[in-house]
Amino acid sequence: MAEQKKTITFIIERQDSPTSAPYTQEFEIPYRPALNVVASLMEIQKNPVTKDGKKVAPVTWECNCLEKVCGACMMVINGKARQACCALIDELEQPIRLAPARTFPVIRDLLIDRSVMFESLKRVQAWVEVDGTWEVKDAPIQNPYTATTAYEISHCMTCGCCLEACPNVGPQSDFIGASPSVQAYLFNLHPLGKFDKEKRLNALMGKGGITGCGNSQNCVEVCPKNIKLTTYLAQLNRDVNKQALKNIFNK
Amino acid sequence: MINVSFYLRRLHSLCGLLLLGGVLVEHLLTNASAMGGPEVFNQGLAMMEMIPPPVFLGIEICLYAVPILFHGIYGIFIALDAKNNPGAYGYSRNWKFALQRYTAWYLVAFLIWHVGYLRIYLKGIMGEHISYALVQSVISNPIVFVLYALGMFAAIFHFCNGITTFCMTWGIAKGPRAQCVVDKIAMGLCALMCLLTLAFMFSYIA
Repeated sequence: MAEQKKTITFIIERQDSPTSAPYTQEFEIPYRPALNVVASLMEIQKNPVTKDGKKVAPVTWECNCLEKVCGACMMVINGKARQACCALIDELEQPIRLAPARTFPVIRDLLIDRSVMFESLKRVQAWVEVDGTWEVKDAPIQNPYTATTAYEISHCMTCGCCLEACPNVGPQSDFIGASPSVQAYLFNLHPLGKFDKEKRLNALMGKGGITGCGNSQNCVEVCPKNIKLTTYLAQLNRDVNKQALKNIFNK
Repeated sequence: MINVSFYLRRLHSLCGLLLLGGVLVEHLLTNASAMGGPEVFNQGLAMMEMIPPPVFLGIEICLYAVPILFHGIYGIFIALDAKNNPGAYGYSRNWKFALQRYTAWYLVAFLIWHVGYLRIYLKGIMGEHISYALVQSVISNPIVFVLYALGMFAAIFHFCNGITTFCMTWGIAKGPRAQCVVDKIAMGLCALMCLLTLAFMFSYIA
């Protein structure tokens, strides 16, 4: 087996600037057991020479924690959006194709600008307005079962896999995507955050809100943190519909 | 804060499932009666013709034409919001998402032809009487037969998959198990309705 895997071939989609045309380059690096895509990119960075011997600018990408917690190294690996740090070479089909997540603006090579997700989080008010510190006995009560759900959703690292995989997110549509929508639900579950539930639901009813969801359910398939996104989207649909009735009949 | 697109989307969903679903089921049942022979089918049509023409036209406009035009035209904008990607993400739900849109495009063309020729041209302009013999003569052309069968399959899939997505969009089926059950029931219904369609279509030309 080791004999066959002496080298690893990468076909990388590159782009020199946000506006220039993309092109691909092929790289070959020596095989090492337990190698992942980030470590391979570091290998290429050390010696940025293409397969046919041309010296090129090193491939640009983003990474940080290297343990599937920060979300920074999300890219399209062999056609699917995922974290590069936990994409093990031994489990990937070769040649390994890397491409930037084009749902987002590309800055350079595999580096993308994900600030649109931050803007969406601001739109749905993904924070708790009133906060403070309490002695345990005075603190607002948190239902432990609700806390379990909140903990699961709080794993979201805004990596953008769900947005990249979603057919309804992209330049052609204004849908904010699963991750920011479901974050609104997280803060609706919070004992203090729930006071602003109405604001968040109304934001989700607005342009680019939850109605943009077309139930392709790719988000839940690709979420690296296994957040039950479609379940919470369905719950949000319920909540938003109730809010719509309130908006119609209570005012 | 009126959120027009939110209400339009929900109206699109309701109108598709309840009104257009009703139209589809009505077509299926009326045509299924043709399996009982020309007399049964023509009797059914005669029953419908007992409704006074102005009332019947009102029903056609309110329950057929307006919902179809709204669902179809707004649906085109929804379909344009999507960049179908079942090639990269070949999950069953994503395929159904894409098929929902592919069938929609076919149905736009099919319904313009179907309504335009049968209802507007033959019945409306030529004053032709819709009967067993007329339907038989239309679909006895093999190309028309295939295009009609595809049109029915497209409409049936679009409706049945629409039941599943309706249950998601309205928060009825929330968890993965519930959604999976709804999906299986809807696809079972889809298969049954397609078989029924084949049965009555072949009965016309047999």
